[in-house]
Amino acid sequence: MKELLNKLSLEFGPSGCEDRVREAIKEEIKDYIVGKESFVDPLGNYIIHIGGNGPKLMISAHMDEVGFMVKGITDEGLLKFGTVGGIDPICLGAKRVISESGVRGNIVMKPIHLLSPSERGQAPKIKNLSIDIGASTKKEAEELTFVGDYFTFDSDYVEYGEGFIKGKALDDRLGCAIMCQLIKDIYEGKIEPKYDTYFAFTTREEIGYSGAYGASMRIRPQYAIVIESKAVADIYGVDEDSEVARLGDGVIISFADRGAIYDHTFVKHIKAIADKNEIKNQTNRYISGGNDSMHIQKNAEGARVSTLSCASRYIHSQSDVIHEDDLFATYETVKEVLKNDRPN
Amino acid sequence: MKKIKEILNALLSSNTPTGFEFYGNDTIKSLAEGIFDEIKTDSVGNFLLVKKSSKQNAKKLLIDAHYDTVGLMVTGVFKGGFLSVTQLGGLDTSVLPSTEVTVLGKENVYGIITSTPPHLKKGESKSPKMDELYVDTGYSKEKLSELVSIGDPIIYRNKVDYINGDYVTSAYLDDKACLCALIYAASQMDKDKMEFDLYLTASAQEETGKSAVARLTFDLEPDLAVVTDVNFARTEKDDSFDCIEAGKGASFDISAVTDRKITKNIMKYLTSEGVGYQCSCEPSRTSTNADYVSISGNGIPTVLISVPLKSMHTPSETVNLNDIKSLSDVLVKISYNDKILN
Repeated sequence: MKELLNKLSLEFGPSGCEDRVREAIKEEIKDYIVGKESFVDPLGNYIIHIGGNGPKLMISAHMDEVGFMVKGITDEGLLKFGTVGGIDPICLGAKRVISESGVRGNIVMKPIHLLSPSERGQAPKIKNLSIDIGASTKKEAEELTFVGDYFTFDSDYVEYGEGFIKGKALDDRLGCAIMCQLIKDIYEGKIEPKYDTYFAFTTREEIGYSGAYGASMRIRPQYAIVIESKAVADIYGVDEDSEVARLGDGVIISFADRGAIYDHTFVKHIKAIADKNEIKNQTNRYISGGNDSMHIQKNAEGARVSTLSCASRYIHSQSDVIHEDDLFATYETVKEVLKNDRPN
Repeated sequence: MKKIKEILNALLSSNTPTGFEFYGNDTIKSLAEGIFDEIKTDSVGNFLLVKKSSKQNAKKLLIDAHYDTVGLMVTGVFKGGFLSVTQLGGLDTSVLPSTEVTVLGKENVYGIITSTPPHLKKGESKSPKMDELYVDTGYSKEKLSELVSIGDPIIYRNKVDYINGDYVTSAYLDDKACLCALIYAASQMDKDKMEFDLYLTASAQEETGKSAVARLTFDLEPDLAVVTDVNFARTEKDDSFDCIEAGKGASFDISAVTDRKITKNIMKYLTSEGVGYQCSCEPSRTSTNADYVSISGNGIPTVLISVPLKSMHTPSETVNLNDIKSLSDVLVKISYNDKILN
């Protein structure tokens, strides 16, 4: 699963431009969904109906990542940009980026000696940053890119320390990788789902107006599990109350975040299954963030939703970090939930 | 350009944070082989590479580029595998969060500079202070303590990218872009045409402002010192004339520190030879080795030439390869004409 995460994380897929990620996923699972209904809906969601006996369950992960969109090109050949999704500008200075067509660039800012005294010490603002693609005129830049072009972080996949993984777009390619693995497991008979199971690889989560709306409207699930990554702050110097959760302490079984209060019965059911199977798990100790579950929960007839996530440091930067134990704990938890009857 | 890229790639793959230039000994030695008559190191980390002219009693030309790069240094090892750090040289902390680094411990240890998530930030967004940043290594404190000690240097993780053909991006182009030009220039110099003996220095500890090269110039007493360093290349529109242009060639820095007559002579000579260059002014000091070299020994006539560089002291310093070639062309020309001293 780590190899697949490596591969998927490198695919280019900012919100609204998920085609390459979707194609990579399709290729990955095509031999495992023979005879199953699968389709791409108008929002670009890739939905696979695996089936099974029981209530309808939608398992989802989003394919898109944060990125940049070119808003204009200056006479000096620099690209002015807006962010696709939420990116903290403090993580942008001097970072390398790459466009859909493979044009490389660096994010540049005013050198510190040219800053006015009032600008010094302030975090950079997006409007003061540009992408430099090595063009010295507008015309030269226009041969390489265009207004509306997308860029993402240009960052590789690294395993470091004791079980840590760094990459771009681990949010939420980790969810995509877990779902691909589950689809393979079901095909190979390792899991017999006790739910009528749908897998939805969704689009546009990072901008909030998510593809999951359309997907859940179409599937109309009774239950939903969103597989995600969750921003945490278990870094030295942060007090425990603000950490949210810790990398390496297992799957985060959330009871609530800023987007949804999760279905109490379903969450307790999942937690009991994780405990019974001795899967490392934790919950978030701070209410923050939100994801596709908020849309799925309130859409159509309404669904009993839960989110299972991997704790992530430095999320939405070139160095998104997770722990492999959490990746496997999240996978194991969803797997065991599928094998068990619905909650009473 | 192929040869320049080869030299540059070799220099960029040596780790030489300021004060730890000796980590690059082997690289310099292997690059210098076959080009120079003498290769020396000294007690403070400078390299001296000598190439003599065929001419007897030639005048001494010293050309300097510093070999050290900015970095960080470990000041503490903490639970969860986090290192506290201090800076080696001048860094803008606003480019550090989420940046990848290599800790040069007992073995090379990968790390990421921490970034506080938005939910913990209150009020106006400030650049972090150095003591608010840590390096995340992913090891337990016990394991990390075996690998890393207080005082170990840390460098940006090296990644070399070529952008739009001629631009190269790496963390260590200040001042290895110039050092590359020097070594390439020396390889191109014809001993029979050289009117100077060449003393090339790959010098130590420029980034901390200690300019170890001044020790060498003190000993050598060259007739002319040419200091080469990078200078800020313009990115966005700039009406202050504080920046030079990338891709427009090597740039002469005219300053109170540099020798006015010789700089003018060289520029006139290059123009007559059809060699292009640009120039910029540093009205006061230059914040380069030129400041120290010029006042070392009995005083040394010093010229400063720069290569334009974007995003200085960041993990993505960027230089145009044509500017490296341009500096090399200028240096070869200088070595062929000792009348520029008159």
